[in-house]
Amino acid sequence: MSVTETPAATRDDADQLDAKTQRTAVRERYGRIAAESGSCCDDTASCCGETAAEDTQVSTQHGYSADDLAAVAGDANLNLGCGNPTAIASLDAGDTVLDLGSGGGFDCFLAAREVGPDGHVVGVDMTPEMVETARDNVAANDASNVEFRLGEIEHLPVADASVDVVISNCVVNLSPDKPQVFREAYRVLRPGGRVAISDVVLTADLPTDLRTDPESVAACVAGAATISALESMLTEAGFVHVTIEPKADSDEFIREWDDALDLSEYIVAATIEAERPEAGA
Amino acid sequence: MKESMMDILCCPMDKADLELEVDHEDEDEIVSGTLTCTECGEAYPIEEGVPNMLPPDMRDDVPA
Repeated sequence: MSVTETPAATRDDADQLDAKTQRTAVRERYGRIAAESGSCCDDTASCCGETAAEDTQVSTQHGYSADDLAAVAGDANLNLGCGNPTAIASLDAGDTVLDLGSGGGFDCFLAAREVGPDGHVVGVDMTPEMVETARDNVAANDASNVEFRLGEIEHLPVADASVDVVISNCVVNLSPDKPQVFREAYRVLRPGGRVAISDVVLTADLPTDLRTDPESVAACVAGAATISALESMLTEAGFVHVTIEPKADSDEFIREWDDALDLSEYIVAATIEAERPEAGA
Repeated sequence: MKESMMDILCCPMDKADLELEVDHEDEDEIVSGTLTCTECGEAYPIEEGVPNMLPPDMRDDVPA
């Protein structure tokens, strides 16, 4: 079939991967990880250390407390993130939260505890196997205020001005059209709503072979954007109070992402926060 | 999905409201059915409780 892309999705630079190749690589990688999540440890995946103790160590480096880890049942925590967006989101009871690229659902279940029975958490992920894993974890966590949809973060199936907080953990870098992701986040947020995102940001130019490798995009490396590029995208989408704060000790876990290359020379984990202005502001 | 969540759901393409047709539901939620866009007419299936809201061109090439 012919692929009909929106104009915005096809305006990548010539030396960049096309959107479809990038998306396919991402879906294949995370589909594989989700399918294998029941039988942990596969050395092709960035998830999972050799032992449960190593998994816990990685989660702690990402910023989760022992309490967070104990609070969520099942295989929701695949250790694929690079931070703890729920911790920076300061959620209130009754909030409606949207998680972009919800994966196994770990951050959704943590957010669900914060927003309580009157709140809602919606996770959107484009990988069927991930949504399936997340849905299995709904039952394991008895989380009646969490739902998942199969969907694309550039085309959110979420109504205008219906969400209080958008969270996301190491996912926006995977998108071939980040400006569109931020425009969509802005659209779904209520005036006064905000984004609280953990993601990797680029600190130095990547070698060309890495930048054009679909696997490197899928591994949360080649798709990373610089802080100033992300600031422009958020501002152009209409956000105010944009702050992007690199996470000082993230080199400890990013160094482990690749055996041959020290990726912490090129990328760093960061927290990305921004607000949709109040109506009339 | 729960029917109460219809309010915050929309067509991913044109953001119009959706019309719900339920095939099967249990005491908690809608297990299977169809969400049809009231604007463009695109139909999005609900399977095993999960609405498949992927844009049409992405729904057809799910890797095996």
